[in-house]
Amino acid sequence: MAVGTTERGALTHPDVHRLDDVNRDVLKMLTVPGKGWWALFGMCVAGVGLFLTAWFWQIYKGIGVSGLMSPVGWGVYITTFVFWVGIAHSGTLISAILFLFRAPWRQSIYRAAEAMTVFAVMTAGLFPLIHVGRVWHAYWLIPYPNSRFLWPNFKSPLVWDVFAVTTYFTVSAVFFYLGTIPDVAAARDRATGLRRKLYSVIALGWQGTDRQWHHFGKAYIFLAALATPLVLSVHSVVSWDFAMSIVPGWHATIFAPYFVAGAIFSGVAMVITLTVPLRKVFGLEAYLTVKHFDAMAKLCLFTSLIVFYAYLSEFFLAWYSGEDPERHAFWNRLFGTYWWATWTMLVCNGFVPVMLWFKRIRHSIPALFVISIFVNIGMWFERYVIVVTSLHNEYEPFAWGIYRPSIVEMSIMVGSFFWFGFWFLLFTRLLPPIAIQELKEVLPPPMRKKKSPEAAEAH
Amino acid sequence: MHHHIPSEVPVRYLPRDKTMNTVAGAMFVVGLLAFVFRLNQDSNSAWISYVTNWMFFSSIAMGSVMFAVATWIVKAKWNWSVRRVSQSGAAFLPIAFLLLLPMFTLGADYFPWIDMMATDYIVQKKAAYLNIPFLISRNLIGALVLFGLGTYFVYLAVRPDMGRTEGAEEDDEGRASWRARLTQGWMGQEQEEVSSYQRMTVMGPALVLVYAFVMTIFSYDWAMSLEPHWFSTMFGPWYFMGAFWGGVTVTGLWSIYLRTKHKDISNHIGLQQRHDLGKLTFAFTVFWGYLFFSQYIVIWYGKLPWEQAWIVRRSGEVWGSYSTLVVCMCFFIPFIGLIGRKPKMVPKIYGFFASIIMVALWLERYGMVAPSLHHEGDPIFTIWQPLIGLMFLGLYLGSVRWFLSTFPVMQVWQPMQDPESLEAELPADMQGPAAVSSD
Repeated sequence: MAVGTTERGALTHPDVHRLDDVNRDVLKMLTVPGKGWWALFGMCVAGVGLFLTAWFWQIYKGIGVSGLMSPVGWGVYITTFVFWVGIAHSGTLISAILFLFRAPWRQSIYRAAEAMTVFAVMTAGLFPLIHVGRVWHAYWLIPYPNSRFLWPNFKSPLVWDVFAVTTYFTVSAVFFYLGTIPDVAAARDRATGLRRKLYSVIALGWQGTDRQWHHFGKAYIFLAALATPLVLSVHSVVSWDFAMSIVPGWHATIFAPYFVAGAIFSGVAMVITLTVPLRKVFGLEAYLTVKHFDAMAKLCLFTSLIVFYAYLSEFFLAWYSGEDPERHAFWNRLFGTYWWATWTMLVCNGFVPVMLWFKRIRHSIPALFVISIFVNIGMWFERYVIVVTSLHNEYEPFAWGIYRPSIVEMSIMVGSFFWFGFWFLLFTRLLPPIAIQELKEVLPPPMRKKKSPEAAEAH
Repeated sequence: MHHHIPSEVPVRYLPRDKTMNTVAGAMFVVGLLAFVFRLNQDSNSAWISYVTNWMFFSSIAMGSVMFAVATWIVKAKWNWSVRRVSQSGAAFLPIAFLLLLPMFTLGADYFPWIDMMATDYIVQKKAAYLNIPFLISRNLIGALVLFGLGTYFVYLAVRPDMGRTEGAEEDDEGRASWRARLTQGWMGQEQEEVSSYQRMTVMGPALVLVYAFVMTIFSYDWAMSLEPHWFSTMFGPWYFMGAFWGGVTVTGLWSIYLRTKHKDISNHIGLQQRHDLGKLTFAFTVFWGYLFFSQYIVIWYGKLPWEQAWIVRRSGEVWGSYSTLVVCMCFFIPFIGLIGRKPKMVPKIYGFFASIIMVALWLERYGMVAPSLHHEGDPIFTIWQPLIGLMFLGLYLGSVRWFLSTFPVMQVWQPMQDPESLEAELPADMQGPAAVSSD
């Protein structure tokens, strides 16, 4: 897995000179947490409480406590589901595609991005369960014939989704786990007591022998190659949940790549949102440098342009189609009941990222943090616009209606962020959030210093 | 995977070859005669051949320049020895612009919406876009800006080389006279390199935007609007990503051809470069399959009459086998052929599959246009299509060969060796793309 060269590594991490610095700095994060961590963790536990309370209330009272009703049968839950699946994308992009492209800047952030992926899929996966209302019937989605020998409807993109998301979760979890093994072993060697036992189990007896490294490298590159098509396929399938039907505003051929680009866009923004505080709280300035943020900002800008291209071509072709329902759908987006959602989406995803053209902004970490939050908001609203504005005005004007999210839905949506944060915070305490072994690869190897010309000659 | 760019890149040219020039010239003449002859016989079919060949050759030329631009933006080091090969597409861009002009004389025979405008309620609603004056102006300006910027980008890349090729062993009159032309206002080697580097870095991302925008217009106007009720948001990306894929593949083909011309070239376009070119060719093959499938399945599943018409026309008795052939040659054959490691690296195997891709892309562009304008009973494909294609092929081969024998095949100036130092040369407020618009 020789990814980088020593020259590149030295450039990437100018303040880290020795290999044991890396162990010290990264493993330090796993020791006793500070007050900041506990405060955030407490907040997340409270948020998860809100999440569960709202969900249990919905289970107890029935799906009627949500704002969902005809004609808007998909609302905040599906919006949030798509949002979290999207967030999950950059992890695999960074760990698999950038790995295959040999982009050296991924090394400092990929562990956090992969963890984010796994937790985001875990969060996303809850929403179909929440959305169906009678969650005890959720196992009907699993493809096996029931007692009447009926299978789930394989023609439905919703069933494809079950496959796509579970496959993605499995592969990204395995990928994440595989990458941590050598680092967990490093943590094991320093830990004591229960933690040591736990790490010993997770590390699978890693000793760092040549043979083990050889197998590790092979496994990693194979998984990267396997995971690469998944980056494209998962969100393509999610996009087809919409595009397969003939609802105006949903049925567009560009949906698959457009959703994938949007997913990467929001995912990279979320990586920025998470790594900025991580860097601050744990003092990782030497590892997460301005160069890394610059690269992430460029990726964000690039995907923002793809997304904006898709917006433009959708608006233009809706006009060009000459079809009244199609034209109305997009006019209604811009100037109808939900105009505020559409303009939030356009401003956050199309206009705010324009600032990333400027190097000064790409090099300002507070500015990037703020922009990344805008992008997160914008991408949530993008899905809201797609889901709600299309459904509330379909073909038949007599069947039009307005959807208002209920307090229960909003609580569950907000709570999902805390649920995600809860896992992410636990992760930063249990596993090295920065890949020790990959960082070491890019550092200059330990050499004995030349003492003097004579000593060298004598040797 | 170290990418050591040698500190001294040898100055090597594609040897001038009179025979090859004659062959390219002959191709052009035969193609032109074929076009004129066919124009008198069946002007509609002659123009379909002309437009589809223009679409193909402008695509691969622009696509290969975009490949150079994309690798520039990401500061790729691996392609140092084939960077110039991708840039060579620029030699065809001015010609592509000139070849576009006759297409503006096309009327109701080519654009069905002209006649439909009188009676068709839906087409009437598109009148603000579908009218000849606007069509001509947007294509004219679009092509001028896109091909102009593409050529300018390559000019910037070539210019600093001129200071390093002076007195090189293989210098001749043509090379010297172009050097004189390109070095007007010479500021000194170091200053030239800094200036070129900075301008290319600023221009690159802008060129990507222009590329996506203008190629989308080309695809809508010369292909999509031929079935005026049909529209697909994927059509633009499908067209310009296909062009990019063609650019990558044609870079690979030229690279393995150039290797046979000189030992130094063959050494420097090494295993690493060929493997990477092969991987990218393969990756964009898969990407073509992805885009094609994503468009197809949405239309197939939606089953809207006006939307599936485009597919139905291409999958029925008349065009079905043609479309199947295109999908096999664009996706299945190169996918299976190039999946391994060896086929990417062995020039003969790679060349075989890359050639299949080129033909496939040529057939694909024809398939975007011809079925829409096809009259029942006419043959779907005639010998005139490749014959008229010879006109374009001759010009393409001639211009690219001229470029590679006039300018060094391997860029002598290698800024990606150490881009940081070039960035540091600039005053702080001039760094990065911000420089264009920050004041």
